[in-house]
Parts: sequence; structure tokens; C-alpha cells
Amino acid sequence: MKPQQAGEQAVRLLLVEDDRETSAFVTRALEERGYDVETSFSGTDGLARAEANDYDVLVIDRMLPELDGLSLVRRLRTRGSRVPVLFLTTMSGLDDRVAGLEGGGDDYLPKPFATAELVARVNALARRTAGEATQLSVLDLKIDLLRRTVQRAGRPIVLQQQEFLLLEYLVRNAGRVVTRTMLLENVWDLQFDPRTNIVETHMSRLRSKVDRGFEVELIHTVRGAGYVLRAD
Amino acid sequence: MQIRYFHTEGFRLSAIYALVFALSVAAIGAIVLIINRQALLDQVLISARTDVTAMQRGYAADGIAEVLEILNQLKGRPGDAELFLLQKDGRRIAGNLSPMPVRVGTVQFSQGDRHPVLGVGAELAPGLYAFAGSGLGRVHAVQERLLHILLWVFLGAFILAAIGGILVSRSFLSRTDAMATACRAIMDGDLKARLPVRGSHDELDRLATAVNEMLDRIAVLMENLGQVTNDIAHDLRTPVTHLRQRLENGRADSTDPKSEAAFDAAIQKTDEILAMFAALLRIVQIEGGSRRAAFARLTLAGVLEQLRDIFVPVAEAAGHTLSLEADDAGEVNGDRALLLQLFSNLIENAIIHTPPGTHIFLRLTRTAPEKVAVTVADDGPGVPAEERPRLFRRLYRREASRTTPGYGLGLSLVAAIADLHGAKVEMESAAKGLAVRVTFDAAGS
Repeated sequence: MKPQQAGEQAVRLLLVEDDRETSAFVTRALEERGYDVETSFSGTDGLARAEANDYDVLVIDRMLPELDGLSLVRRLRTRGSRVPVLFLTTMSGLDDRVAGLEGGGDDYLPKPFATAELVARVNALARRTAGEATQLSVLDLKIDLLRRTVQRAGRPIVLQQQEFLLLEYLVRNAGRVVTRTMLLENVWDLQFDPRTNIVETHMSRLRSKVDRGFEVELIHTVRGAGYVLRAD
Repeated sequence: MQIRYFHTEGFRLSAIYALVFALSVAAIGAIVLIINRQALLDQVLISARTDVTAMQRGYAADGIAEVLEILNQLKGRPGDAELFLLQKDGRRIAGNLSPMPVRVGTVQFSQGDRHPVLGVGAELAPGLYAFAGSGLGRVHAVQERLLHILLWVFLGAFILAAIGGILVSRSFLSRTDAMATACRAIMDGDLKARLPVRGSHDELDRLATAVNEMLDRIAVLMENLGQVTNDIAHDLRTPVTHLRQRLENGRADSTDPKSEAAFDAAIQKTDEILAMFAALLRIVQIEGGSRRAAFARLTLAGVLEQLRDIFVPVAEAAGHTLSLEADDAGEVNGDRALLLQLFSNLIENAIIHTPPGTHIFLRLTRTAPEKVAVTVADDGPGVPAEERPRLFRRLYRREASRTTPGYGLGLSLVAAIADLHGAKVEMESAAKGLAVRVTFDAAGS
């Protein structure tokens, strides 16, 4: 789960959050996982630091003194910065989500959140790979995004549309934990917490097609966090 | 449309008025006819009496020769009495009537198939009898013409009163229609709409003003309520956020598996509180209506196909079956994310609250040229009719479902999202199970 791997630089992260208690909590959670965290407590200070330094990820609260988070990111974007941004907010409303994403944010996490959720999302942003590959592979699993075909160890696997989308998301985030909420939002476009076990059901179907009968299991459950697709 | 005029209070009053008016015209007409007849008969008698008196005076002055002279003069004169007789001992001496029995004073007799005759008879001398009178044909002709005129007046009065009634009721109806339209707009979520007031201070205006004042008051109360909900949820979120963070820190610091379990349970409860806040806030926000600005054209069939793909495996895992039937694309203007949530809620209700083996049907049909309906139905045990309206109440939970997941906000959210889309939610009494139908206005082409 640690983003810091052999030969890799620690991920540099700027946290702009005026609530000291939340700031301390987030800093602790991320530092424990190997992030290099800097903190800022106001919008203008946050903007100045973001412009002066080269961060890998910004975590920004929507409501900040002096300059609100949304304006901060808008200014950064107009100055050409493409650094990934995760918005934190107490406003969990739908409008805020849309406004945040349109205003230049890359992801959006309503407060309060579980540490695992925050870490998974920051990981996804920090390691996001640019470019549009049409073929993805992990170990002996191969996905062709154009033809929408899947092969494992040379054998074709027939997936339904939803299963394919789920596998694609897992493979794109291979090696990183993805949470239930991330799957609901990104695979099924559901922006609410369902009362039925949608994620578990689809995941178990996918596993039975992708992993059953193979020596190495690719899809793993991470207790209290989510799922991860990895080769080891 | 036309038939509606007959159901208005204005038309009923006008119809009664027209009837009473016509009856009065009829009564006056009858009186006029009677008085007119009497006057005409009196005229006949006066004229006859004058002629007879002239004959009496003539006889007294110059005997029978003078009477004959008078009769000659009278015969050549038009009008007045035109029938005369002078007879002696039952034999006619002069006149244009046959001899008749001697009767003194006012006499009326019939003449076979001709009009009856009215006149005055007198004995000029013993055995010498004189009569002057008139056939009643003219009287009857006048009366008949009068009756015709009166019938036309009666008919005209009735038609005018009826037209007046329709005009009055139409103006009444157009005003009550405008009020009904305004009320419906308010029910459809346009809480700022008010009943039209003309400024004429009539009874409808006073009613509209009173209703508007009531709506203003309700709007203020509702705003307060929404604000309170919003404030409480927002104000409580920060301390609850800190609470959750401290619990997570506590769990991370603890080395004792027992207290770890306690922390986990506390975190889970905190998350439940937060989920309820989030759901309440979301309802308040949706009811605010600002989401409508982001509406886009979409097909309900697309939304339902996506939900079918998501929920078929979930339903099957729970021992249910789920199928989708769409006989229309169902193009509407709406918010895809919210519509996904609306139908997910209904589908999840069906999955959670029915026993295994239940079939869940999703149906998309065009119910009218401008209406498309989505029905989420099941063939499970259903919900008693008297309990159905309560299902949409916030935080309401059926006795039977206290142990299943949820906070009793699902259907409130369904109602809020449907309202935002101008859609109507109905619980249909299916032969078996429960059917919830959401009817949308189809997007114009």
C-alpha cells in the first residue's frame, strides 16, 4: 500500500486545510504511508506554495479563508498547472461535486472520510498515468480496450459490459487499492451509497471468470479498504 | 370542454335565474291576455248598448220608422256592432240576424259553426224586440296574435338569460381555472407561484388574496424548516468529523484487539449518523431545485438498461429475478445521476423488502402522447393500501423492515427527485405485490 517503493522518490503532497484538527489527522494518516506532506492553512498561502513548488498532488479544502479552494484551483489551472487536485469538503452536495470537477479538480472527497478512502484516492491521483494505451496487461491478463476483449494465459474470457468496465478500472489502477466508493462512482456512475451489495456481487462474478482455475489470483480484497488487482 | 360550463356555480345560478325570469314573463303574459280579452268584450258591449239605446230613444220619439232609419245608418257604418235585429212577435222586420228568442240585457249565443255572438237586447214595446251585437271572431283573432307575441317574448327572454348565464359562467370559469393552474404549479414545486388577483375586490379576489397570504406564510415556515435542517446538519458535521478522526486515531494507536473492535463499532455508528445527514442534506438540496439548471436530454431506456446490468446480478444473488421491458426510448429532460439514484432506490426496496423468488419488473411505457412512465413492480407480498401514503414520509420505517438496511429516507428522496423532474409518483395496486409508477413529461422534439 505504500506509494514509496525502492528507487522512487516520496510523493510530495500539499494539503490546504484551515481546520487544524482535520489537517493534523490527514497529515498523520498520509505521513504514516510514506507521503511527504506540507500543510497550508489559507487559500492565498496555499496558492503561493502551489505556484512556487512542484507537488505531485494537491489536497484542497473547498472552504478556505481569504481564497476559497475552487478559486485557488481555477487560478492554478489558468496559469497552466496540471497538478492533480483532490477536493475535500463538508459540502457533500451534488452541485458542489459537479462544480468542483468542472472547476479543475480531479477528484472529490466529502468530509468526513475514512483514512483508507483518502489514501486510495490520493494514490490513484499521484500515480495516474497519462496517455491512452489501447492494450493493458498485468501478468498473463491482457485487455484490448478497442476490441473489448480479455485474455488470460492466452485463453479468451467472455465478460459482460459491466464486468469489462470493472476489470478495466482495476487494471488501470493495478497495484493500487480502489475503494467501494471509487468503484461505484467510476465504474457504475452511482454517486450514492447503495443498500445492496452491488460491488461485492459484481466483484465475485468477475473473480469467478478472471481468477477461477488459475494458479495466481489477481484480484484481492483489502480488509477495511477495498480491492486491489496485482500480480504478486 | 363545453360541457364543463354546466358544472359551474355561475351557470347553475344563471339557469335558475333564466327559468324564474321566463316563468314571470309567462305569468305576466297570461294576465295580459285575460285583461285584454275583458277589455275587448267590454268594448263590444258598450258599442251594442249605445246602438240599442239609440233605437230605444228613436222609437220613443218617432216610432218604428225612426228605428228603421237608425238601423239603416248603423248598417253602413264600419266597426262597432255589426249584427242587428228588429223583430215583432218573432218575425224579423229588419237587420242581418235570424229571429231569436226574446232576451233582455247582455246576451251571448252561438251561431252554429261561426264565432259566438255577444250583444245587448231590449224590448222597445211589447212584442217589438231589438238586438245589437258583434261576432267574437275579431276578439279571438286579437287574442291569438297577442299570444304569439307573448310566446316569442318568452322564448327570447329564456335564450337571452341562458346566453347571459354561459357568459357569466365562462368568465367565472376562466378565473377559477387560472387559480387551479396556479395551485397545480405550486404543487409541482413552483413554490413562488401565487393565485391571480384582478384588483376588483370581488369575492373571488378576496378568496385569492387570502389563499396567497396563506401561501406566503407557509413559504416562510418551510424556509425556516429547510434552513434549520441545513444548519443542524452542517453544524453537526464538523464535530462529528473530528469525532470520526479521533476514533480512527484511537484505533491506530491501540494495541488491544478488544478496544480495536470497540473503535471499529464506534466508527461504524458514526458513519451511520453521517450517512443520515448526507441523505437529509441531499433531500433538502434537491428540493431547493437548483439542480434543474443542469438538466440535459437523456433517454430513460438508457438509464434503465444501465440499472438492469447493475442489478440483475445483485437480484439473482438474493434469489430474485429482474427484467426490463421498454416499448419507448423515453426521452426526457433530467439529471442522469439523480435518476439513477431514484430508480436504484425503488429497485433496492424491491430486492430488500421481498422474499426470495420474487420477480422484479422494470417497465418503460408511453402512457400518453407527452407522457412516459417507468414502473418498478414486484410480485411479492405488497404493502397494504392504507400504509402506502406513509411510505413517502421522511424517516418512516415499516414495522416489518426495522431490521433491514436503510434510514427511512429512500422514498422521500424518490419523491424529491421526482418532484424536481416534474414527475408524478404513484403506488399502483397491482393484483400481487407492489408497483411504483413514476410518470414523466416526455421531452419535446
